Amino acid sequence: MRRSPLIVVICGILCAAFGNTGAAPAPAVVREVLPNGLVVLVREDPSVGVVAASLLTRSGSAFETADTAGVTNFLQKMMLRGTKHHSALALAEAAEGLGGTLEASGDVDYAELRGTALAQHWETLLVLLAEVAIEPTLPTDEIERERTLILGQLQMRADQPFPRAFDAVVADLYGDHPYAWPALGRRESVLRLHRDALLERYTAAYRADRMVLAIAGNVPRQRVVAAAEKLFKRLPRASATAVQPATEAAPRGDRRVLERDARQAQVLVGFLAPPVTHADYAPMRVLAAVVGGGTSSRMFVELRDRRGLAYSTGVMTSNRTGPSIFLPYIGTAPANADAAVAAVLAEVDRLRQDRIEARELARAKAWLLGNLAMDRRTSARHAWYLAFYELIGTGWDWPERFARAVDAVTVADLTRVADRYLTQPTVVVLRPAEPAR
Amino acid sequence: MVRVVPIGLVLLVLALSWGCSGVRASSRPAAATPSPTRHVLANGIPVIIQEHRGSDVVALQLWVRAGARDETSAELGLAHYLEHMLFRGTTSHPGGFMERDVEGVGGRMNAGTSWDYTYYYVTLPARRVVPGLEMLADVAVNATLDAEVLEKEKDVVLEEMRLSDDNPRRRLARQLYTQLFDGHPYGRQIIGTPELVRALTRDTLTSFYLRHYVPETFAVVVVGAVDPREVLATAASTFGRLPRRGVTRLPAAPPPPFRPQHQDIAHPGGHAHLGLAWPATRLDHADTPALDLLASILGRSRSSRLVQSLRERDGLVVSVSASLTALEGAGGLMVVAQLPPGNLERAEAQILAEIRRVRDAGVTDAELRRAITAAEAEHEFETETAEGRAVALGRAETVWTLEDELAYVNRIRSVTATQVRAVARRYLDPERYARLALVPPKAAQ
Repeated sequence: MRRSPLIVVICGILCAAFGNTGAAPAPAVVREVLPNGLVVLVREDPSVGVVAASLLTRSGSAFETADTAGVTNFLQKMMLRGTKHHSALALAEAAEGLGGTLEASGDVDYAELRGTALAQHWETLLVLLAEVAIEPTLPTDEIERERTLILGQLQMRADQPFPRAFDAVVADLYGDHPYAWPALGRRESVLRLHRDALLERYTAAYRADRMVLAIAGNVPRQRVVAAAEKLFKRLPRASATAVQPATEAAPRGDRRVLERDARQAQVLVGFLAPPVTHADYAPMRVLAAVVGGGTSSRMFVELRDRRGLAYSTGVMTSNRTGPSIFLPYIGTAPANADAAVAAVLAEVDRLRQDRIEARELARAKAWLLGNLAMDRRTSARHAWYLAFYELIGTGWDWPERFARAVDAVTVADLTRVADRYLTQPTVVVLRPAEPAR
Repeated sequence: MVRVVPIGLVLLVLALSWGCSGVRASSRPAAATPSPTRHVLANGIPVIIQEHRGSDVVALQLWVRAGARDETSAELGLAHYLEHMLFRGTTSHPGGFMERDVEGVGGRMNAGTSWDYTYYYVTLPARRVVPGLEMLADVAVNATLDAEVLEKEKDVVLEEMRLSDDNPRRRLARQLYTQLFDGHPYGRQIIGTPELVRALTRDTLTSFYLRHYVPETFAVVVVGAVDPREVLATAASTFGRLPRRGVTRLPAAPPPPFRPQHQDIAHPGGHAHLGLAWPATRLDHADTPALDLLASILGRSRSSRLVQSLRERDGLVVSVSASLTALEGAGGLMVVAQLPPGNLERAEAQILAEIRRVRDAGVTDAELRRAITAAEAEHEFETETAEGRAVALGRAETVWTLEDELAYVNRIRSVTATQVRAVARRYLDPERYARLALVPPKAAQ
């Protein structure tokens, strides 16, 4: 007997920084769990002319080993290279005919198939997405083509100073933990990955109970749910138990210099931070905003405006289900590299030793919440946010709860998390062998 | 200024996309967003307002019809430098105040410089629209250009230059413009040169500011969850009170005759970057829509000819794309690729083979249809946010007209396959083009 879908309609709350005074009411989000376990989320927004869909699987480099590094991303790219009904080119042409795109990529904690289209083509977009997810053929000749491209992308990444320095500091921070390598993988592993490894990853990841489908845009939500149920019911439910490697992240906590011909030196100072689900995650994000979020943050004012050391400087953070990062960075003239390291470490020390003022806390919260609100305004971003936070188990409405957690952060919280997490810097400096090219 | 995102608006024009406004292809149209309205203040400043209630945000933008092409050869980099300095303090607001004020309510501010214009933008919660407009009007004419801040900012701009030099794609694009528009202001570096930046004085900068930041060059754009009457009243009581200066801007000069140059430059790394460019039309030329579609068919999507031929069939490149840049005075069609250095010659030959093929046999109806759909969709995606809409409107008002912008998608829709082939033959000469390759130092020797 067919179960009638239980549809839960929940209205989103706009973030605290942007009270919903003048805007149209926030669109409702529909959540449905299909009989096979696939969670479907739909956000209907009549104010736009487009639709975006994001199909996420709980996969990614977190589930890889050094030998299989990059297999998730490789698989994702291959899924667009042919299905039972379309060649790679025919898939691309079909998506472009809808006024959109189909894309695929592997990330750290997930893998994504995503598509966009003019709103009236939402149903055809879902048909294409389902076909790619359920009926990929992983053609052998296309595997070698994709391998060459991925190796080329790894080379391009190594060619650019900031990505290269970033990959180095992340590797040093995470040690043997799978977060240590980029989602693209490692050259050594990508060279050796074969079709069997891709198929194995596909079988483990493409199970309905490890996936979330989110659709956002100008779409009729009840019809979208019905169409999704019909299209994705063939996804198998039972999941082979995907085991995450039980490796601890072990930061090297030292300083490494990479010599590379460049006009600018890159200085990155990394620390491990709590996972996105941890109670300390919100205070750490506020702390990052105090020191390196926006043009009135401490690093921007001190290192750029007052000392003229940089054009770009700030703190990068990540939202991982495992250990995240807190990463102050600065790009500076090679002759200033040592001064920049000292200046960044001094800013970190100030966080631990000096009391943070209430007005700095207030600005940092506003900046952070503004960022969150600004980032969630296109259909594609809405679809991603809904799918990601549902997938990792925090629930699709996590951003609203995160906003409340940020709002509750105190100066004492900041001091506490600074003391707890900012203790062992891992430093990477990329600089030319000679002072300048 | 682009203070946060380390991508100078030096390259803004490269991403020039053909936004339009108010025309919808969708059979499931978006809920009625009111059309933009254009008002002219007593002193001639146009104010464009559009209610957009997708989120509780307002995008406020000041567009200035002064950019790098308005500099004399001794002033290179001034327009960009001024853009760095404008938010650094006014006669009534000390430096740092504006950043704290804007970020303190969750907002953002930034700016960008092109050859044809400079623009300043603030994105705020909609309830802050009045103080936001007041702040923009303040920086427009009351910036102090403090001498001490100006000196310190030189180091920041020199860092911006270094950052840009280290980015191969940006370096390739910049140098390709220099080749394509050699001897024309469009061939100069928007950011200037290290020597000119180091030598810059407050007097020079102030003189440029007083000359170009006047009601005659301004346009104000406001898009968001706002009351248009309140916005117009505030604009009138701030921008509307600025005295006219009797300034007339010179039209963009046409470029000198094109002289093809072919060049290799050493750049660190393992891969090479190849760029080919052809002179194309200025923004308001009748051939621009057909060239826009041609660029799309050649290399703007996964199914496009260059991607299919060079990347998918022959495996010569990691990526390849084509783009059209149409400025007020001139334009260019460019093809860029990233590839192993050993494939440079074959890739160049293959790009030229595709150019010959489109000249000889034209494009298919299916290709043309997809390119037109892509243009329609691009507009829909670009205008999902308030600032996306504001940029499309501001750019149109500044370098074109609002009417042209609104009509652009209709012009795109009426282009035929015959016209696309005709512009390929008219503009893409496979014997005469600019060529630049950034190659790993060993390969360059």
